[in-house]
Amino acid sequence: MPLTLEIVTPEARVYSDTVETVVVPTVQGELGILPGHIPLLTQVEHGELRVTKGGQTSLLAVGGGFMQVEGDLVSVLAEHAIREEQIDESAAEKAVERAQEALKNRGQLDATEVERLEGLVRFSVAQLGVKRRRR
Amino acid sequence: MELVAASKMKKAQQVALAGRPYTELMADMLAALAPRVDESKHPFLTAREVKIRGILLLTTDKGLCGPLNSNLFKLVVDIKTPAKFVVVGRKGAQFLARTKRDLLADFPIDDRVPFSAVKAAAEFLVEKFLAGEIDTVEVIYPQFKNTLVQEPVCRPVLPLSNLREFLDKIEGDSSVARARRDEREMRIEPDPTTVLEALLPFYVNRHIYELVLLAKASEHSARMVAMKTAKDNANKLLGDLTLQYNKARQAAITQEILEIAAAQFATG
Repeated sequence: MPLTLEIVTPEARVYSDTVETVVVPTVQGELGILPGHIPLLTQVEHGELRVTKGGQTSLLAVGGGFMQVEGDLVSVLAEHAIREEQIDESAAEKAVERAQEALKNRGQLDATEVERLEGLVRFSVAQLGVKRRRR
Repeated sequence: MELVAASKMKKAQQVALAGRPYTELMADMLAALAPRVDESKHPFLTAREVKIRGILLLTTDKGLCGPLNSNLFKLVVDIKTPAKFVVVGRKGAQFLARTKRDLLADFPIDDRVPFSAVKAAAEFLVEKFLAGEIDTVEVIYPQFKNTLVQEPVCRPVLPLSNLREFLDKIEGDSSVARARRDEREMRIEPDPTTVLEALLPFYVNRHIYELVLLAKASEHSARMVAMKTAKDNANKLLGDLTLQYNKARQAAITQEILEIAAAQFATG
């Protein structure tokens, strides 16, 4: 019985397919999910999410969020998520630069803005990590 | 303007619908988590005596959208208990100033509805709620039923005192109510309280965001309908006036011919 993986962000349902295994970055380290996993609810970190389907591994970059495993359904609730092939490397690099530039005078920014920018940096770095992994 | 509103409406509805699975999934997770934590542990979950209600009023910046805003104001007028208001949209701010109600803050949110702007408003309310300045967080907004019908609704957001009941309600009208439930005990990592503490503020922000999106969709629909009515009325008026003008012109011509004929008759 294969797993059903769903990745949902506020903007759209990014991924919805049956897969064999999923490796998710959680707050307690990477976590691999195989069919028959016990029900689980955990927090997801910024990082790369690996999906294996038919012997092929595909990568996605995810932002922070939550994951629920229930039966054979794996649902990931993330702030952002993007498939490897859709990542624009130069855009991500620029986003990191811009955000870090803005973060230099973090004293003047309010806490929510700092939080948003840090989230952006982490997600962009995760995107770059996914992209460079193949080389 | 009808067409402008129509295209904006379509966009707003799409955005509102795209966020749906996310919110439903989040509600689902909350439902899984709820029985495993003590409700009294988190301030969001404990009901307290309501002395001052905190109300977020979602209105539009511009007029020309039919009775949308005035329907919301009727709900506000009905509130007799002490309440403090936070408002989105210029119309609402003007109304509250006119009726001399306690306005805490006013957040402008443009048509693109950036999440960060809504988050600022939501966090402001949560802060006041935690500080004890207000005892509830409620949202008054136009519920989007369909393009023709928008109903003003007052929806309580905090406290989620009766989480179970609340979840049953939202699950009732969502498609998430899954029949296939795993019977085994759920593991929650690192531990239920941590996850709940991370999830709840997230959920409140998200919930309010969705209500704002619905309010925007309502606004554009109401405006489209109002503009269509206005256009139809103007067309009808134009027809009537053209008819009247033609009649008057014809009468004048007939009169002139009569006068010329009479003059000729008299001289001839």
